Amino acid sequence: MTTWRESLQERVGNGREIHFDSGRFIRENITKSWIQTLWLIILTYLTIAYTISQFRSLPFTTGFVTLVWLVTVGLTIYNELTRSHNPMTLWLKNNLYSSITNTLLSLLLVLGIIAAVWAFIDYAFVRASFSRIPEEAQAILAQFQTPGANWGAVLDNMRNLMVFRYPREQTWRLWFVLVYVGVLLAGSTFVYSQERFRRHWLRQVLTGFWLITPLLTFGLLVGVVPVPGETIALLINLLIVLAGLVVLFFLSRLLLSRFPSLIMSFVVTVLWVAALILSVYRLSNNLTTILNPDIAWGGLLLTLIIAVFAIVASFPLGVLLALGRRSQIRGVPAWLTYGAAAVLAAYYIYNNTLPAFARASSILQQLVALWPLLFLVIAYLFQKYFRGNVVALFCTIYIESIRGVPLITVLFMSIILFPILLPKGMEILSTWRVMVAAALFAAAYLAENVRGGLQAIPKGQYEAADAIGLNTFQKYRLIILPQAIRTVIPAIVGQFIGLFKDTTLIAIVGLVELLGVANLISAQTDWLGVRREPYIFLMIIYFTGSWVMASSSRRLEKRLGVGER
Amino acid sequence: MAELSPTPPKGQQSIPFWRDGRVIGVLAQIAFVILVALGTAWLLRNVNDNIGALGSFRCADGTERFSCGFNFLRIDAQFDISESIIRYDPSDSYGRALVVGALNTLKVTVLGVILATILGTLAGIARLSTNWLVSNLAKWYVDFFRNTPLLLQLFFIYFGVILLFPGIQEAIQPFGLPIFLSQRGINLPGPVFMPSFAIWMAFLILGIIQAQVTWLFLGRQEQQTGRSSNRGLWAVASFLLVAILGWYIAGSTANSQGILLAKAARVREFSDLETLVLGRLPVSELGDIDTAVADGTLSPENLTAASLQICAVKEDSSEVNLTSQLRRAGIPYLVNRSDRLDQATEAFAAGDCEVLVATRAALAAERNVLENAANLSIVPIAETPVRIAVPRIEGLNFVGGIKLTPSFAAILIGLVLYTGAFIAEIVRAGIQSVPKGQTEAARALGLSESQRLRLVVLPQAMRVIIPPLTSQYLNLAKNSSLAIAVGFADLWAISYTTLNQSGRSVQVFMIVMAAYLTLSLTISFLLNWYNRRISLVER
Repeated sequence: MTTWRESLQERVGNGREIHFDSGRFIRENITKSWIQTLWLIILTYLTIAYTISQFRSLPFTTGFVTLVWLVTVGLTIYNELTRSHNPMTLWLKNNLYSSITNTLLSLLLVLGIIAAVWAFIDYAFVRASFSRIPEEAQAILAQFQTPGANWGAVLDNMRNLMVFRYPREQTWRLWFVLVYVGVLLAGSTFVYSQERFRRHWLRQVLTGFWLITPLLTFGLLVGVVPVPGETIALLINLLIVLAGLVVLFFLSRLLLSRFPSLIMSFVVTVLWVAALILSVYRLSNNLTTILNPDIAWGGLLLTLIIAVFAIVASFPLGVLLALGRRSQIRGVPAWLTYGAAAVLAAYYIYNNTLPAFARASSILQQLVALWPLLFLVIAYLFQKYFRGNVVALFCTIYIESIRGVPLITVLFMSIILFPILLPKGMEILSTWRVMVAAALFAAAYLAENVRGGLQAIPKGQYEAADAIGLNTFQKYRLIILPQAIRTVIPAIVGQFIGLFKDTTLIAIVGLVELLGVANLISAQTDWLGVRREPYIFLMIIYFTGSWVMASSSRRLEKRLGVGER
Repeated sequence: MAELSPTPPKGQQSIPFWRDGRVIGVLAQIAFVILVALGTAWLLRNVNDNIGALGSFRCADGTERFSCGFNFLRIDAQFDISESIIRYDPSDSYGRALVVGALNTLKVTVLGVILATILGTLAGIARLSTNWLVSNLAKWYVDFFRNTPLLLQLFFIYFGVILLFPGIQEAIQPFGLPIFLSQRGINLPGPVFMPSFAIWMAFLILGIIQAQVTWLFLGRQEQQTGRSSNRGLWAVASFLLVAILGWYIAGSTANSQGILLAKAARVREFSDLETLVLGRLPVSELGDIDTAVADGTLSPENLTAASLQICAVKEDSSEVNLTSQLRRAGIPYLVNRSDRLDQATEAFAAGDCEVLVATRAALAAERNVLENAANLSIVPIAETPVRIAVPRIEGLNFVGGIKLTPSFAAILIGLVLYTGAFIAEIVRAGIQSVPKGQTEAARALGLSESQRLRLVVLPQAMRVIIPPLTSQYLNLAKNSSLAIAVGFADLWAISYTTLNQSGRSVQVFMIVMAAYLTLSLTISFLLNWYNRRISLVER
């Protein structure tokens, strides 16, 4: 007497053996634990209920998907029983149908995803209007019971979103900057990545071009032109400045070769900074700007300017802060700290506490009047945690204060407090205030990331650098910082992506960057109340930007071998 | 920098001072201190020049003292705050307004941290699922929310979703649940605690102790016999048993609730109310009311006239107790709310309603005050420790349940979705950091899946998860300041209004910075303590 199993095998098995132990199957997949049984029952109910409800709204698609699901599940089960998978059923078994719950979940999720995607396509394309004329858009949308997307608001305002109120006759500056940076970028990716250009002069030329790019783009975008009539004077001043810089170059080489020491490097650096400031000052007498950044810069242009400035300016500042926080230079000796604290405490006790005690009316006021004693407490903490190192103290206070407050607070502080902190009558544009605030904010976060990288460098590297006689500047430039920064490239790029996204907060502060323009679109009479479509467009822009930055960082990491050594 | 150059032994040439590391270090610090001191002095002089004119640090007696700068906190605020946990009205001081803001920030932060952790953990675990669809859905969620700015998400949720919800009458109810999404925000059913909750709480604590005892006892049995005894199930079951027992005991022994109504209504217990209302309606059963309204035999005005009229005090738990029982029985009712019990009694005496609901003690006291006390009777009403208040449309607003205003809902949902995506990545990285050999060894030892997760994977994963999790919690606390963009009155929004109105920008910024620094330090302190507890004790 053949069992049903054997007869089934004969009819369906096709020559292959069927392996199936029903008892074990039930024990492992259904009744292994009470949670599993419960979850299975709930999931079965949910799947059936959802499939039926979807069948009512999208009959053909749901029917098709369910049919495909049934067929593939059947095929996979058959192949699993006969232990002869083909690639498709093997993938299905491993990824979608690995257990009963997973099978049901797959159907549920596929139907859910199809419903969501269809709803979005319906909103964004089928029921949408792409017309840039408001009346026509209204007419198109009125045809539907629930109107879809009104993309005309975005298409009509594309120039606003990109550059907002940049004067039309000056648009050539934007195109110049775009082409210049594009060519430079393309050239650099080609030259820097190739081995044969390792010591080529082309590399140094490109580096030179990159070094003048900030000044050049800034000058172009803000509309720097010679004061009319003083072009000759400008050229003469330019020649003088260039001559001075060349003289300074040879002088510094001479000094550094005659007196090689840290102090001399410091003096030479100070001379260079002073020379650059003086030359800018001298040239600025003959130059004037024709564009007001507060008015002219807006939209995506402002976002990119602020993001790039903050990223570029925060890098050296952040590295300096990280090095300062970890500095090991010998600190102020204890007798000096406690002495100064004692003197200050005595002075304020004599001047403030004693009169306050006489005036005090409650215990609380007496306690508050004893505040000069805090000087001694501060001195003790200073000696204990910072070993008297003032540089480390200030860097730590700066980093922890900036990291403990929200960015929007820092931005508002810069907008409101800068006029107070600068001498009376000195005006500084909102755009500069926001750019400086963003750079200072980013520097604090970057400092922490770089500090993590510095901590990962083995002490042997420092000792080896000292052993071969490098001074501090060379040691950091050639040995320590390259390794440290390479280790934390993922964190730094994440920081930059965060900064790019955080430029949106500037919309709250009053400057009109990309998000600000998107908010203004819904206030236009033509497109009153159209809010979602500009936001969706912005999400696409930000997502693309962040994605590009993240993937190029991954490529950079792979090229530099981050995490391998 | 490694070792500083040591003093050369006697007889050798000493190091010239411009190359001596110690001298350079000290000189650099002195130069640094002088620079910082000069810079600060210059800044302070500018500040003095610029706001010395405003006199904001000036005291009443003309002297300039630091503490006087904060006297403005006692002035009346004269602006309104849209939502607040404690009582506030515009005649309160600036100081109280700032406290309201700080409490609102705390509310958002605490709720946000809890919900974001749950969402992030689920998404992180989903990311590691073997199901291709589940893991990719989690991946798309994480990628989308990490790569778009938070403020943009907030604007979209607030202006593009919540403010476009329909009006109250057409409130959306997702999946038919009693959750109402409307222009007034999100209204959920919420618990209301009756006086007998204290008794039930005692039972709950007893239940927890009982569950612990069961757990330990069965654990000892497991060790002795070597067979697993499903002790989790038994512990949970014993807790539930005690909790349910406590529920009925607390409910039946409590008799603090009652209603006051005329003896003429002939109501002796709750079921008599049903008869009373049925008598006024042209239907034979309460369940037929809906069909009667639908086919026109019963007009809405007649239904309103026949409904049970109740007088109650605002936000009183007795009202929720009575109305939830009425709702369960299907009896239509209307509520007339007053601010205080004596006002409710006046309304009752004036005839605005037929039933006054409060605790029996309060009702007895009120009945003595009324004129026709002899004609009034107090009917006891059953109570359970917790009643669920379901939002109900009354007039132009929802009443009852948990109300999330549109601004609060927007900032909470935005923060939770955004931070949840980051936490998902952290959890995923943490779980993946545990070497695969640990899982294989656990399986080789015969540990079940849940044992493997609980005893082997999670303790090791937690050590990698906690430090980045700390910074994500800090980010959430700081990002809550974006509430100003969606109109939620958190600390920063109120500080900004205070700053603009009082003009004391320096002082307000000092207060705000101190508050946020305290919040950040508290969160990192708590999490660092937990981190130290679970960190590896190294040799």
